[in-house]
Amino acid sequence: MSHRTRHNQGLAAIFGWPLLIGLATLAGLVIGLLDDGWPDGVAWLLVGLGPLIVGARLLRRSS
Amino acid sequence: MSRSTIRIWYLIHKWSSLVSTAFLLMLCVTGLPLIFHDEIDAAMGQDAQSGLAGAPSAEAGLPLDAMLAEALAARPGEVPLFMAFSQDSPLLTVTTGPQPDAADADMHLQFLDRASGAPLGPAPANPLLDFLLQLHTDMFLGLPGMLFLGTMGLAFLVALLSGTVLYTPFMRRLKFGTLRTRRSVRVKRLDRHNFIGIVILAWALVVGGTGAINAFADPLTDAWREGEVTRMTAAYAGHAPLAPDRYGSLDSAMRAAQQALPGRSPQFIGFPGGAWSTGHHYAIFFQGDTPATQHLLTPALVDARTGELTDARTMPPLNQALMLSKPLHFGDYGGLPLKLLWAVLTLATIWVLWTGLFLWLRRRGGQVERRVDEIALGAQRGQRL
Repeated sequence: MSHRTRHNQGLAAIFGWPLLIGLATLAGLVIGLLDDGWPDGVAWLLVGLGPLIVGARLLRRSS
Repeated sequence: MSRSTIRIWYLIHKWSSLVSTAFLLMLCVTGLPLIFHDEIDAAMGQDAQSGLAGAPSAEAGLPLDAMLAEALAARPGEVPLFMAFSQDSPLLTVTTGPQPDAADADMHLQFLDRASGAPLGPAPANPLLDFLLQLHTDMFLGLPGMLFLGTMGLAFLVALLSGTVLYTPFMRRLKFGTLRTRRSVRVKRLDRHNFIGIVILAWALVVGGTGAINAFADPLTDAWREGEVTRMTAAYAGHAPLAPDRYGSLDSAMRAAQQALPGRSPQFIGFPGGAWSTGHHYAIFFQGDTPATQHLLTPALVDARTGELTDARTMPPLNQALMLSKPLHFGDYGGLPLKLLWAVLTLATIWVLWTGLFLWLRRRGGQVERRVDEIALGAQRGQRL
């Protein structure tokens, strides 16, 4: 698999994934604050997204 | 991004990181066990709450006067200093000491069961966690240590932001999540540093930012408490402090306070003469009932002799905002899974700090220009590094 792109990427391409993960993290952190119960579950999923992506990527060490 | 711009951001990233890395590593390592302080206390058999059945001591139970009399009977000759409530169990903590303004070292804490009235013995201490907490908060240096660590927290924020700026030119030709493992050790390390760093960025900004806020906010909160308590009790200025044998009923004081602040749960009572009250008042501190508001303290001052309310005031918005940020630093508001995520993210932060340090230690040559090349052209020329 190639990790190289053909052209220089714009900001949107460079920061697409990081922005998604960052917003999910922030949303999770705040939602967990609202109350105990279901908001906690939502917080785990949203805050867990980043660690999940890192874990999956480190396990699949190709390239 | 021009080379000169990259150069400036590279130098900002380098110096903000170098200055703070040692302290940030210490904060991560000491913070890791602190995330699990509840679980560690429980595992060491120090969770006095788990076996107790009944309504939370903040809500109901035996009369407070009876509980206090029982606690004082166990410590003859001492006076009451604090009474703290639990929101989860009938556990009640009573602190006593030789005189109303006793120093911390002379205080004695005991646990009681407010549902049954049973004494549960002296409150257990956990010297290891206390040591870690002190190291994490101020390195045993008091206010200067706290402000210093707060400044290191600000340097961390600068390092995170400058690192994110440098991520842009570096990733121009690389896909998100690229980890080039077949090139040099340096490229491998750099790719991982960038990948893990950008993924944990939001969390690290929140925990670093709230940590710095905590460091700078505690002195502000102390100032508010002292100033506000003094203003609320101006009419009592110049009166001699009330002797402990003239303290009136705690239960009627609590009723008067809860009438003024309905729907709030008491967190603790500061007795007259202590740092949290005046010479004449029971200072009853109420908290909110959600994870977000449990650090928002609202004091009600009740005349300790007559049981009449003197005043109750909420915190000013600035202090409220500062207190709201506390749980976001501790990560202890969403059950065990959130704590585990907090630990994983802390380990990831250690990894990013560590690889960053090694990228600097194992650099080739002493020239900044090479580092700038690495960032500006690294994506294209990774194989030549």
